[in-house]
Amino acid sequence: MFTLPLVPALILTFGLCSPRFAAVPANQGIASSEPRYLSPSEVRLSPDGRRLFITCEDSNEVLAVDPRSERVVARVTVGQKPWGMALSPDGKTIYVSNEWSDTVSEIDAASFQVRRTLKVGWGPVGLATDRAGRTLYVANGIGNDVSLVDLRTGQETKRFRTQRYPQQVTLSRDGRRVYVSNVLPRLGPYDQPPESEFLVLDAIRQTVAERITVPGVIELRQIAEAPASLGGYVLVPFMRPKNLGPLIAVAQGWVLTHGMAVIRPVSARPSGKGTSEVSQVLLDDIDYYYAGGYGVAFTPNGRYALISSSEASTLTIIDTAKLARRLRQVPANELPNRLDSARTFVVKRLETGHDPRSIAISPDGRFAYVPNRLDDSVTVVDLARLKVASTIDLGGPKQITRRRRGEQLFFDAKYCFQGQFACATCHPNSHLDGLAWNLETPQLGRDRVANRTLRGIKDTAPYKWNGHNPDLATQCGPRIAKFLFRSEGFNKEELEALITYLSYIPLPPNRHLAPDGQLTDAQERGKQIFYRTHTNDGREIPVQNRCDTCHPADTHYTNKLSTSVKSASKYDTSDYFDTPQLDRVYENAPYLHNGEALTLEEIWTVFNNSDTHGVTSDMSKEQLNDMIEFLKTL
Amino acid sequence: MKTQMMKILFGVSLLLLAPSFSLAQKPRLITHWENFTTGNGMPDEKVFCVAVDGNRVWAGTEDGLVLIENGKIQKVYKTEDGLAHRVVMGIAVDKATGDLWIATFGGVSHFSGGHFENFTNLTSGLLNDIVYGIAVDGKYVWAATTAGISRLNTYTGEWTNWSEKNAPLHEPWGYGVAPAGNKVWFAVWGGGLIEYDKSQGYMKAYTDPDEEMELVLFRNQGLIHIIVSNVSYNPDTKMVWASTYFGLSGYDGRNWHNYLTKDSGLASDFINAPKSRRNEVWACTDKGLSYLDYKTGNWVTYRPSKQGGRGEIEITWADMKKTKLETATSLAHNYILNLDFQGEDIWVATAKGLSHGIREPQKETQLYASIRNHRSTREIAQARRQESR
Repeated sequence: MFTLPLVPALILTFGLCSPRFAAVPANQGIASSEPRYLSPSEVRLSPDGRRLFITCEDSNEVLAVDPRSERVVARVTVGQKPWGMALSPDGKTIYVSNEWSDTVSEIDAASFQVRRTLKVGWGPVGLATDRAGRTLYVANGIGNDVSLVDLRTGQETKRFRTQRYPQQVTLSRDGRRVYVSNVLPRLGPYDQPPESEFLVLDAIRQTVAERITVPGVIELRQIAEAPASLGGYVLVPFMRPKNLGPLIAVAQGWVLTHGMAVIRPVSARPSGKGTSEVSQVLLDDIDYYYAGGYGVAFTPNGRYALISSSEASTLTIIDTAKLARRLRQVPANELPNRLDSARTFVVKRLETGHDPRSIAISPDGRFAYVPNRLDDSVTVVDLARLKVASTIDLGGPKQITRRRRGEQLFFDAKYCFQGQFACATCHPNSHLDGLAWNLETPQLGRDRVANRTLRGIKDTAPYKWNGHNPDLATQCGPRIAKFLFRSEGFNKEELEALITYLSYIPLPPNRHLAPDGQLTDAQERGKQIFYRTHTNDGREIPVQNRCDTCHPADTHYTNKLSTSVKSASKYDTSDYFDTPQLDRVYENAPYLHNGEALTLEEIWTVFNNSDTHGVTSDMSKEQLNDMIEFLKTL
Repeated sequence: MKTQMMKILFGVSLLLLAPSFSLAQKPRLITHWENFTTGNGMPDEKVFCVAVDGNRVWAGTEDGLVLIENGKIQKVYKTEDGLAHRVVMGIAVDKATGDLWIATFGGVSHFSGGHFENFTNLTSGLLNDIVYGIAVDGKYVWAATTAGISRLNTYTGEWTNWSEKNAPLHEPWGYGVAPAGNKVWFAVWGGGLIEYDKSQGYMKAYTDPDEEMELVLFRNQGLIHIIVSNVSYNPDTKMVWASTYFGLSGYDGRNWHNYLTKDSGLASDFINAPKSRRNEVWACTDKGLSYLDYKTGNWVTYRPSKQGGRGEIEITWADMKKTKLETATSLAHNYILNLDFQGEDIWVATAKGLSHGIREPQKETQLYASIRNHRSTREIAQARRQESR
């Protein structure tokens, strides 16, 4: 009988069990064997600093951690995909948004039990209470609004419209304003730079105070207000895309940059007069970038501001006095494009774990806590020494599966030249960025294509708007390396892991479809129209021009072929484009290959004058509305 | 002794006559007008609508949206600023959020925090871009368009439309909309008054029972005319008021109360809009602004006097006697399109500017004191009893 020596046997065993050899085949139904990671994203400290509260979006839990012992001391299960967190002013209650349950869990901080569950809008994310603890503001990422909840009754009383994918909600220090950031920019012409919106609500009157335009940026993430001694400005991380120029210019740098908006709302001034001021300053260095600006916080004394770069695994510490000097020295119109700013005010950059998210600072200003979403850990930073003090293990699964590894790669910009961007940079929340890009071609303005979602893309090959990539391996392998990252890209194992992750990005619940799947009258009428074979006056619609020919139900509403709907402009090389899948199409604006159609209606009212994209010219407005209501159920 | 007696009698008669000077029975009067015209900052003289939001007054003109605050025009918004179209026909203030929803001839604009977001027939489910009336009702925004009625559910983004295809709209031209608790009322030009029951989800049309365009045969048995130009709901009295081109109609859910110039103090039967609050109903006519206090039955009409610059107040008492008073200032024009209330003041949209009508109680007292031949309500009642014997 052949036996291995013990030590080599052990080495071989553990080597086979290392992540590189995780026995998880790509593109297979592996969900049931996938360990339940925690994926911590939002962190808050209790007012006395004795407890860290952390939302874990994949385990559907909230954890309580003792920062001194660095141990998890309590946990409670909440709804699906817990995302944001707010503490009541007295610290006795924790509110957690459950993004996929459309609810907010109210947790007793002492007993760590869920006291009640509040119904809010679609896809709740960031939230904050008012100063009195009587009102809760909840950003609804799918509904594109902010719910205002009366905490005495637990009922929603009104909503405020926002731009797409509102993200974070923060109460001003004086309690008079509520700030709301947005991930996606305003819908606008596909050939113009993006514009984002920073919403300010009047927390006293509970009305909209102002909508501040932040030009040229997207992905406004978390929000921090400076102490009054610094002027009370607001810092919000962003990404600045130069999507209108050829992306291959990444090799020259400066194509996707990352920084912070410094916002001074007019509504924060006692007089309320004048206009709001917005400055933009980059956090990148001239030869290395810090992608995925996410969390932001000020130390209590205002000396430092901290920003996490979720795609660069970095926490940047900024000297606020030096930042103020930089803002004074360089004209505001120049600042957004100056890559020499960071060195004037960045004090330290610390390495964190994968995908660092929000930041909490202890009341005494000694420590900062940053959850690493893809490591199930928390980085603890000693703010006196400006170094990482420790890493708290939250007790998630130790095994890193191929899918998990793939997710880490998705959120890691180091594979791109100079770390300019990761997959997640252009696909925030694994979705889309709402922009049209000048991808792959070196010619300015040619073949612009709209960014597409990555949710539910398994089994929807081929990929790319021109349909040339038969699988994800081609899409994310050599193509990414050559045309996007302008680097070596991923190795074979990394590519397999990334593909595994991409194959299992789920579709969120469809909010337009009743839980029992029953269609409303309008949706049912719309379904009839979608599947119609004849026009209103009885003429037969050619088979090739019927909706379900190119968008059959059983394959995610795509026939997986390239088709011409005559949507090409004179700047497009070909008129044939890959038929997009229609799952959750209501979340995928803008539409058509170049994002020219800003709404679903425009696909047909503006861009289908010759009935080349289905026959719609005979439809009444009611019929078109009904069809769109049906499309929203897909 | 005799003198003493006379004094006592005089005092008693003064006391008896005192109610005749009680302002509680006399209609309140607007005694001063301030006008906003193209001469002092308005972008256009035609003002189609006005909406008051606390200290802010919004006016819709033929060339943009105007904000007036602290007695001054603060800002004019035009298409360059993002407004959907220069012609602004209706404004609804969402009191909950402070946002405006604006009906224009190019779609619906949502104005919030200084930013416009537009909805048109091409970019959304809005039925038609020619929008006359607009109202906010909780999470719904209702738009009265020339092709029918559109409703936006602001929570889900769903548009629902009603036209002659699926509603009792004899004509599709929606001119006005007024939420009314569990109902919504629509003014349809040529189609009458439409009632939408929210709980039942049905629409019911009220049309002129005599079906005569030029005659009123059944006075108070239905809507006075099917050419309805606008509608207003009074939550205090739970009455809905419809302005038509042939009179004014009020409906309390059971009875109709119709008014014509021939037997009321209405300035004209051609009415562009009604507005009602408390016990008052105001009628914006082509010949002046009238209001009825239907508790007392007294009417008041305001119009520019024929003497340039001065204003005329015509009181039509319940016994149809008329009293004319004059004010130093006047409405910008007699063609009245709409109005809104700001406390005891009013803001009036006219064909030649926006007028701010100010109630000055002291001035009102002086005006009433100047009235000769005035009779108290008690005297009127006594006179009527006498006549009937």
